Amino acid sequence: MAAGIGSVGPPLALSADGGPQRTNNRRHRRRVDLLPYALVTPLTLFIVGLALVPAAFTIVESFFRIQELNPPDRFTGLGNFKRLFSDGAVLASLGNTGLYVLIGVTISTVLAIMMAITLQHKFAGRSILIAVLILPWALPGVVEGIVWGSMWDSNTGFFNSLLTSVHLIEHYQVFLGQNRLLTIFAIELVQVWQITPLSTLLVLASLQNIPGELYESAKLDGCSSSSLFRWITLPLARPGITIAMVQAVIVTLNVFDQPYVLNGAATTGASVTMQTYFVSFQNLDFGEGYALSLLITVVTLLISFVVLKLVYRPVEF
Amino acid sequence: MNRRSPWIRRLGVLFILVWSLVPLYWALNISLQTDAQISAKPAHYAPPTPSLHNYLSLLSGNGELPDAIRRSTANIVIECSVATVVTVVLSTLAAYAFARMKFRGRNILFYSVLATMAFPAYTTLIPLYRIMTTFGLVNTYTGIILVYVSGFLPLATWILYNYMSSLPIAIEEAGQVDGANRMQVLWHLVLPLARPGIISTAIITFLFAWGQFLFPLVLSSDLSTQPLTVVIASLEGRHVVPFTLLSAAGVLAIAVPALIAVTLNRYIVSGLLTGSVK
Repeated sequence: MAAGIGSVGPPLALSADGGPQRTNNRRHRRRVDLLPYALVTPLTLFIVGLALVPAAFTIVESFFRIQELNPPDRFTGLGNFKRLFSDGAVLASLGNTGLYVLIGVTISTVLAIMMAITLQHKFAGRSILIAVLILPWALPGVVEGIVWGSMWDSNTGFFNSLLTSVHLIEHYQVFLGQNRLLTIFAIELVQVWQITPLSTLLVLASLQNIPGELYESAKLDGCSSSSLFRWITLPLARPGITIAMVQAVIVTLNVFDQPYVLNGAATTGASVTMQTYFVSFQNLDFGEGYALSLLITVVTLLISFVVLKLVYRPVEF
Repeated sequence: MNRRSPWIRRLGVLFILVWSLVPLYWALNISLQTDAQISAKPAHYAPPTPSLHNYLSLLSGNGELPDAIRRSTANIVIECSVATVVTVVLSTLAAYAFARMKFRGRNILFYSVLATMAFPAYTTLIPLYRIMTTFGLVNTYTGIILVYVSGFLPLATWILYNYMSSLPIAIEEAGQVDGANRMQVLWHLVLPLARPGIISTAIITFLFAWGQFLFPLVLSSDLSTQPLTVVIASLEGRHVVPFTLLSAAGVLAIAVPALIAVTLNRYIVSGLLTGSVK
């Protein structure tokens, strides 16, 4: 760098036209610098036009009766919400989604912590293992649903074959679509497969901030592996675990691809997002769809916030 | 913990390998068998007579199925590539402004962009569909690409903002002292330095776009724009399509993102981490 010009003075920040010779400095300074606005305008148009305005639509129109097959639209107050809570399919989907979130967040967090600890210290082949680890994250959820669907299948599936071979089950079983809890577990495992890599990376990033001396001195004091985990690893990984859990909450609450592919419209596994899709794009009842979207958004934000408050502790070294 | 319990790590390594690879292996295994072979009990854990028959019936010939697969593959490539290019260009420009310039409204705009990341994507599913209907953009590439770009811009901007903020400012100052204007500084100095961040952003955006399902399901009703993911899911819904063929289609849809993930994983890891841990 040029010596003696250490700080960006105002003249530099203002040289919009790039001319090295600026005779009329004062006039220049008063002019509004348009370049940053030009740079952020496309982004702003996209965010306002295709995110903020649509979000406002969702809020406002959830209070209107909007049925494509039954115009005109009119204000109904809480009518859409009332209809939601008297719709058996919607109520079932709310229960299902609760189970998806509970199963998904729990299993993905536990697995992520285990996998992150495996990867915490350097060893030969670690970078290859990370490449293998992130593979399920990179693939389309629908296709993962199809792949796992063939594994869960009642006639040709991998799990049936394996479990029969080791005599855990006597005959081939139907995993999907009969028992609600089993169906939801089988479907959610597919989503866990997809989201755990990111959770693992987030926890791993936290683990790698932990100074090695901490472990060394704890070991000198005679700590066992399990107490190292309990008193050093787990508390200091909290920031990463928090973000992992929040992202898991958001995606599991909005699960669509996996149940749609694995179990279709059956109420044994339909999620709220699937119900939103059916209500809006099959029944063409957009008002009720809006209300359901709004509901799930508010619940997502709320639960994310609660997880953040419960799990997060700032960590300083 | 380093030397004391290597067996625990070995167990962990084994678990990660089995967990990540067995489902993919299974798809490959099924896709190389015939319908009769996959009905065997217990199942064949490796194809007895590996054959590309399923892939050929998906890709070659003039039937309805190969036509749909080929067309939707072209669609997904077009939609993902264009959305990625537009997202990366726009987010680079915006991130540079946010990272290096002061202007009125900067903070409120920046935080609004970030706030949209906290909302679930499907909040805007119905209004976006209605907006696209109003403007006649259902069943067009434009409609799908606009939705993708709007969805991916916030994360892309955030990753690139963090990346650019971490670059040493001295080089840019020197450039300005030498008489380059700020666009020249961006083009000749910042972009080369930010290349790893830009590559990360592009890869992550492309993978996200490739994985989309519900948005294109709603925004495209025929083969003119349906991406591979939507077409494969519709095959599955028809029940007449056997698992052998479905798995082959799945392997085709997985091939591109899997290849990217395996070869460029360090960009993905660094991008995801600058994108989320701050």
